[in-house]
Amino acid sequence: MDVLSLDIMVAALRLAMPIALVALGETFSERSGIINIGVEGTALAGALIGATVAFFSGSSVVGLCAALGVGMLLGLIHAVWCVYLRADHVVTGAAINLLVIGLALFLTRVVWGWRGTSAAVPTLNPWILVWGMVGLIVLAQVYLFRTPWGLRLRVVGEHPQAADTAGINVFRTRVAYSVLNGALCGLAGAFLVNNLGRFSVGMVGGRGFIGIAAMVVGNYRPIPAFLAAYLFGFVDALQMRLQDVIPSHFSIMLPYVLTVVVLAGFLGRAHVPAALGKPYIKDQG
Amino acid sequence: MKLLKELGIIVVSVALGLGVGAIITAATGYSVPAVFRELVRGAFSDMYRVAQTLTQATPILFTSLSFLIAFRAGLFNIGAEGQLFLGGFFAAWAGFTLSLPPVLHIVVCLFFGAAAGAVWGFIPGWLRARRGANEFVTTMMLSYVAIYLTSWLVSPGGPYHGHQWANQTARILSTAELPRMITGTQLSWGIVVGGLVALLLWYFLFRMPRGYELRAVGQNPLAAEYGGVDVAPTQILAMVLAGALAGLGGASEILGTHRRFIEGFSPGYGWDGIAGGLIARAHPIGAVFAALLMGALRAGGSAIDRAGVAPSDLAAVFQGLVILFVVAPELIRYLKRVRRRRRVHGRPEP
Repeated sequence: MDVLSLDIMVAALRLAMPIALVALGETFSERSGIINIGVEGTALAGALIGATVAFFSGSSVVGLCAALGVGMLLGLIHAVWCVYLRADHVVTGAAINLLVIGLALFLTRVVWGWRGTSAAVPTLNPWILVWGMVGLIVLAQVYLFRTPWGLRLRVVGEHPQAADTAGINVFRTRVAYSVLNGALCGLAGAFLVNNLGRFSVGMVGGRGFIGIAAMVVGNYRPIPAFLAAYLFGFVDALQMRLQDVIPSHFSIMLPYVLTVVVLAGFLGRAHVPAALGKPYIKDQG
Repeated sequence: MKLLKELGIIVVSVALGLGVGAIITAATGYSVPAVFRELVRGAFSDMYRVAQTLTQATPILFTSLSFLIAFRAGLFNIGAEGQLFLGGFFAAWAGFTLSLPPVLHIVVCLFFGAAAGAVWGFIPGWLRARRGANEFVTTMMLSYVAIYLTSWLVSPGGPYHGHQWANQTARILSTAELPRMITGTQLSWGIVVGGLVALLLWYFLFRMPRGYELRAVGQNPLAAEYGGVDVAPTQILAMVLAGALAGLGGASEILGTHRRFIEGFSPGYGWDGIAGGLIARAHPIGAVFAALLMGALRAGGSAIDRAGVAPSDLAAVFQGLVILFVVAPELIRYLKRVRRRRRVHGRPEP
């Protein structure tokens, strides 16, 4: 078996895309100070609603827009919970994950009568999406580090008091980037549906969490995070080919094991935004 | 007074969750009164159904305790599902491999389950404390690994595939079976074990120095360190305990309900534990009641399906909504403030 064939490199790019999108969204969100482990559920919601709407409208583009919409809605809920209600970020994300799994099982039964899967839905050429997203990631890198808006975003995550003093609205900035994170996760879900041609409740399968890991490995920077996501995509592509050699149970484990190993080796060196996960309370005095 | 206030917040959160759930029920074209009637009837109307609720609540109690012990130390154990599977498998293994006298055999099997879960909690705990790896990602990843691993062990080609047509192990010996509490139901003495463990955990957290240290680390690791607590070992201990509790839950489920390890035996008890631990506001005694609520939702959920009123998964939607409101206690305070402000300004209440 030729491991480094062009074939596998190309397949890896396609498999890496949902992970890269989550990693990019989470980069924006965490740079502004909000941890969102609800990315797993948000991607699943994007897949679920994207597939449902594509099924009924007959148009994959309309489905894609619906996936974006539901992602933004969940990003907004997460932000309102974390920013205004001062709920714990991780716990809120976990709640979103649980809610979406319930909704996915319920809605598939209501719409298609099967528990957890949909009928075939229309798809579009994934390569339009892939190259669009590669462009998006490069743009994001420039935006974060070469524009005043990117600087403002980073200040909000590092030192919200300073940002507030400088006239930046900390609350609104966090809400906005959380919504952007939701949109990108919803898109990741729509991409998964586009890859498979149908919805399945297990289709995200931890890729949201792997996306967070890719962000950490990429040290909260879009292009390095994308490269990390590509590594995970490559292992995913590899494991599919390994299934003839070793029991599939073990090959499926590979991306998960890799995530743990990579996180263990990297996190100590990552630069974490200073105000990450902490609610900002405006000084009333 | 503080307890009453906490309770009030939980009750309002649950009511809000069920209220939004009712809207979704109506919006998808199902009958709200019928769903709620069957939900309550399916969970509580007779002895058999109450037993079914308690049976479902048992593993959820263990995973709720698992989530809350880590949470008390400021950590998130999202991977109770995998720890539950590992604990279940190793309890079953000890159940059909070792031959021991009756009561001792059960204890040894429970120990094997707890130990397997503890190992699966130790890894993310150590990685977090010593290497700084986010435990909410690693526990989740290791959960997948555990589920696929146990699945392989009992699948055709795996070493413990004990049945021709189903992916499960051989039956455990009768000496290892946790006896049924009520004949004719699936309810086993596992729930009593769970209750005792909850009491022990309460004693540990609120009456023992180690428990105090663990909570101190959760409140403020820097202050705890300054006060002379070894933060890293405490974090590792919390994750080991979290894993052991989830593993114990798997063991009790296998020894009490199924009597053999079955692939995919948990319909998501590990995830329910996150909800249970949060609804209990991380209190071990509260977890008993939270687990009963989750168990009732599961038992009632199957009942609404059997009665043909709505799909069982509607109950999972309710659960998700309830915890979304439970995690934001500020929401209720906020709503109260808005009401008070309206009253002050003399505007009519909505």
